[in-house]
Amino acid sequence: MSAPIISLAHVSRIYEMGHVTVPALDDVSLDVHEGEFVAIVGPSGSGKSTMMNILGCLDRPTAGSYSLAGTAVESLGDDALARVRSRTIGFVFQSYNLLPRTTALDNVATPLLYQGIRGAERRRRATAALGRLGLADRLDHEPTELSGGQQQRVAVARAIVTEPALILADEPTGNLDSHAGAEVMALFRELNAAGRTIVLITHDAEVAAAAGRQIHLRDGRVAA
Amino acid sequence: MSIIELLRLALSRLRTSRLRAALTMLGVIIGVASVVALVGVGQGTTANITSRLNALGTNLLTISPTGKGASDGTLTLDDSEAIAKVDGVAAVAPEVSTSQTVTRGTTSTDTTVVGTTAAYASVRAFDVWQGTFLTTPAVDLGLRVAVLGATTADNLGITAQDLGAEIRVGGIPYQVIGILQPKGGSGFQDPDDQVVVPVGSVQKYFVGGDSVRTIGVSTTDGASQDTVTADITALLRNRHELAPSDDDDFNVFNQTQLLAAATSIAGTLALLLGGIASISLVVGGIGIMNIMLVSVRERTREIGIRKAVGARGRDILAQFLVEALTLSLLGGLIGIAVGLLVSAGIGRLAGWGFTLSPTTIGVAVLFSLIVGVVFGVWPARQAARLDPITALRYE
Repeated sequence: MSAPIISLAHVSRIYEMGHVTVPALDDVSLDVHEGEFVAIVGPSGSGKSTMMNILGCLDRPTAGSYSLAGTAVESLGDDALARVRSRTIGFVFQSYNLLPRTTALDNVATPLLYQGIRGAERRRRATAALGRLGLADRLDHEPTELSGGQQQRVAVARAIVTEPALILADEPTGNLDSHAGAEVMALFRELNAAGRTIVLITHDAEVAAAAGRQIHLRDGRVAA
Repeated sequence: MSIIELLRLALSRLRTSRLRAALTMLGVIIGVASVVALVGVGQGTTANITSRLNALGTNLLTISPTGKGASDGTLTLDDSEAIAKVDGVAAVAPEVSTSQTVTRGTTSTDTTVVGTTAAYASVRAFDVWQGTFLTTPAVDLGLRVAVLGATTADNLGITAQDLGAEIRVGGIPYQVIGILQPKGGSGFQDPDDQVVVPVGSVQKYFVGGDSVRTIGVSTTDGASQDTVTADITALLRNRHELAPSDDDDFNVFNQTQLLAAATSIAGTLALLLGGIASISLVVGGIGIMNIMLVSVRERTREIGIRKAVGARGRDILAQFLVEALTLSLLGGLIGIAVGLLVSAGIGRLAGWGFTLSPTTIGVAVLFSLIVGVVFGVWPARQAARLDPITALRYE
């Protein structure tokens, strides 16, 4: 088996609220290998969101080590984390999180902007990514002019436009009707079949069933 | 990110909220426009004062009495004659003036009647347009002859054909022998509104006594005004029998001093006006800061998204700073255009024309940039420091 893309070793994330300490993640170890489609499943309060933040390099673990695509990220500064996010991770959020009053094309091109890629190249790659998701005729539409399913597909295009090592999806079907949700899930399976590593975070067992492997979280720990 | 990318982002953002951008810029526009306009007006005034003072003759010294009852006057015609012998003095004209009603037939006008000598024309730099000026014999004999200023002649309806006509000055008949070339200028004291008559007749009919109000002295070209002033002061102190401990009972005004004083006053005025106007620039800057802070809050989620997809803190900082700078610079440029229009308009109304000063424009641009940076940097830092997790969750 290939080297793991994600390797968490004894990761804890403890929040301090006044005098009370809340361990949102408690000694979690797990590996995700290249080409895997993993679902992290758990009810609310199980530490899913914290897991998403840590895996997405938006937050640092309090203890333990996290290696992403060979880089130890637990000790990196803010700018270095931003760089890791920019090069290695594509995010898909529950609420799409597209930039308002910005066309689909510009939304998809935004991650490339922060990689310092020139305008013409950005447009070419963003157009190609949107084309692959069947949105070639929606390039100039702003988020408010698109349906929920279309917005989520724009978000997926934004996630894959940088060719990241990892796609991190946080409840990607949560705001969609079942039809659009099924479409998005089919999209993830397609991307996975094409070799992409996907980590999906959800509370929905049905959605999780689409993944190749499920990791169950309960009270901040990996359930057996 | 290149500056062009940042500008593109800022402009597209400002386009989506045009009214807000326009209102925010309005503060800077008003500030910059008033600075440019008021400095322009200040410069116009200075230039105007300078050119008027130059028209009075730059080699002119004016001597007037000071101290108790200046109107009694300590200066006399004899003083005037003595001054004429000082080295470097080209001409001396004693002046006694009085306000009188001047009539010709049924037309009358109130004007200044100046009693003086033949040297007045050269000392005060007047040219004769028609007829002749006062002659020395006419002055010595105290003849009742008058030379009219252009405005006075106009008021009385006297033209070139009317030389030799009789006018009444304060009821006393005089014969018009000449009309002066107009000097122009429309200040509140029109130099062309006067009647010039022999000094003796004014002393005899109107003011009494033998003192004079002022003595005008023109210096020869190349003579040092300071030296001549010192010589005249020494001479007059001697003639007035002043003890070394006594103060002068007269004043010698130097035209260059007057010019310098007037210019400095006008400069101070311009600075003051500019200072007041820059307060509104600061207020405009605060407006920008206010709007940028609101904008950071409104766009918290956008900032979170940008950070999630790879923006560093400094990318966000640059984006918001360039947005503030675009607002202030755009406002500054519009303000300069408005300010130049206003100062051109005022210049035209006041009749001193319009000069475009590159310094003012440069300073205005610089100031609006500074306003943008100073008032934009804080909101931009707020934006850059946002935690991406909280920003993404922000509703």
